[in-house]
Amino acid sequence: MDLVRHLGYFLVVTEELHFGNAAARLGMAQPPLSQRIRRLEEELGVRLFERSSRRVALTEAGRLLVPEAREIVARVERMRDLMSDLARGDSAVVRAGVPADLGAAVLAALIAGFRDRRPDVRLSLTEMGTAAQVAALLEGRLDVGLLRHPVAANGLAYGPVLVRHPGVLLAEGDELTAWATVHLGDLAGRDLVLFPRDAEPGLYDDTLATCRRGGFVPADIICTDRVEFALGLVLSGTAVAFGVPADMPGVVWRPLAGTPLAWRCTPAWRAEPGPYVRDFTAVAVQVLKGSAGMVDEGAPPPPRVAPRPATGFLA
Amino acid sequence: MNPAPNPVERVFRNAGVSGWLHAVDIDSGREVGLRADEPVVLASVFKVPLLLELHRQAERGLLDLAERVRVTSADRTGGGTGLAAMLDDATLSLRDLAYLMMAVSDNAAADVLLARVGRESVNALLDGLGLTATRVVHDCRDMLTSLWVDAGVADQAAVTQACADPEVVARLRALDPARSNRSTPREMTRLLAMIWRDEAAGEASCAAIRRLMALQVWPHRLASGFPFDDVAVSGKTGTLPTLRNEVGVVEYPDGGRYAVAVFTRSLSTAQNQPRADAAIGTAARTAIDQLRTHI
Repeated sequence: MDLVRHLGYFLVVTEELHFGNAAARLGMAQPPLSQRIRRLEEELGVRLFERSSRRVALTEAGRLLVPEAREIVARVERMRDLMSDLARGDSAVVRAGVPADLGAAVLAALIAGFRDRRPDVRLSLTEMGTAAQVAALLEGRLDVGLLRHPVAANGLAYGPVLVRHPGVLLAEGDELTAWATVHLGDLAGRDLVLFPRDAEPGLYDDTLATCRRGGFVPADIICTDRVEFALGLVLSGTAVAFGVPADMPGVVWRPLAGTPLAWRCTPAWRAEPGPYVRDFTAVAVQVLKGSAGMVDEGAPPPPRVAPRPATGFLA
Repeated sequence: MNPAPNPVERVFRNAGVSGWLHAVDIDSGREVGLRADEPVVLASVFKVPLLLELHRQAERGLLDLAERVRVTSADRTGGGTGLAAMLDDATLSLRDLAYLMMAVSDNAAADVLLARVGRESVNALLDGLGLTATRVVHDCRDMLTSLWVDAGVADQAAVTQACADPEVVARLRALDPARSNRSTPREMTRLLAMIWRDEAAGEASCAAIRRLMALQVWPHRLASGFPFDDVAVSGKTGTLPTLRNEVGVVEYPDGGRYAVAVFTRSLSTAQNQPRADAAIGTAARTAIDQLRTHI
């Protein structure tokens, strides 16, 4: 049997949960569709649907099969597209996801660097948060992504980890700009403008946990993934933000004492990296180090607590 | 009046005190100072060189730090903390007396130790280290007695009352660097840097001294400028009417370590001045921040 094609039928039925509707969508009659689903069930040795006169429902085995079937179908489609592009003489495409805040210069360097290395391959970049990239990589909609750590995803492979330590962005005239380095605890009571949790759940939680440990519990958290909006809030003195030095008059950058925050970035892909993914990874690492100020991940300094006699335990 | 005083001076002015400060990066030698070479009254800060001499004598076998000493209630020096505030006889080892002297600035413990090591031995040690502006001329008891005499009163409670009067404060010899235990901010940071670099005595002795300075309980002066879990502050305070001092070492999570000595004299004779206390921490952080700016 053509397993991939049968999995395709299976997916349509799971979306419709109605054999008649599914058959109509596939442009075929209902009996042959039912027969093909039965053959798939025989092939796999499980029942995929509970059928009654009134409704069709997925069995437990069917539910488990859905994501696997989606991935197989998507990857096979992708393979066919690639091959047919090549056959027609079109250029190959590598689809890459990048975080929202890389900046124009870094993006340009990334595209130019890849073009130099692979003039025959088109680089299709999509701006995506880590959560969306993980989903897209697992579903085969992306070939490679640049993720933020910490990330928890089974089934992805990672390239080298790069890191940079953000400082704090303050409005000019903020009393904290008097200090050459600012401690997290100095920010106590301020509002914080931060990327949305939906986009970067791991880094969001990690950042707030580090802030709390350092004595900074933001009075309010304003979420945005738009850099201009964030800088506007900083400029107005409404909130502070973490980041790299901003090229905006009125906004002052200060490093954080002890570099408590770490923004880690790593190329990631599903399964074996193809040659294009390897090329993209090599270019990305080079560009992130050269243009985005990132460095190889060293051993992170262990967070330390220096206790004092009049604090802490029963004093 | 200077329209743009330096940031450290501004901290002192805002708190209503005159201030003397020296801060130095222990590893690079970069420094920041404000009247750093003027003589200042040490008050209890003199307990740091005393502690050093105690350990140096132990190194030479002149005394045993574990030796137990009986401190009777009858002849102990007064003060508000430690044995000086307790009512019964106590027996402690020399090093535990040193702990009380450093952690809570126990005057009775300090005088027992100074009697044991000798005032002139402390001064000889200071000469040997090149700290010739630093002198120990009396113990706590003699200094307190001079307060009573100069104020014209007969007990400690009366001294506290009398020192609310600026005219009384003006004639106290204990507040005159020429006639009291004295040093300069720069000599104090040199002493601390030598202790932190294991140069003032053997490694074990310097480590023991650093441990005791880290066990100091007061959070209101030097430590108040560094309300951060990852910054370690070790220090020794000194207090007399209108005087608030602290010398210490501040260690940052990135490994930076800075010796700082802050001496202040308040315009007001009020006993309780939290802002003047906190100015010591703020001035220290301001100075250390300058040291960290141009790394």
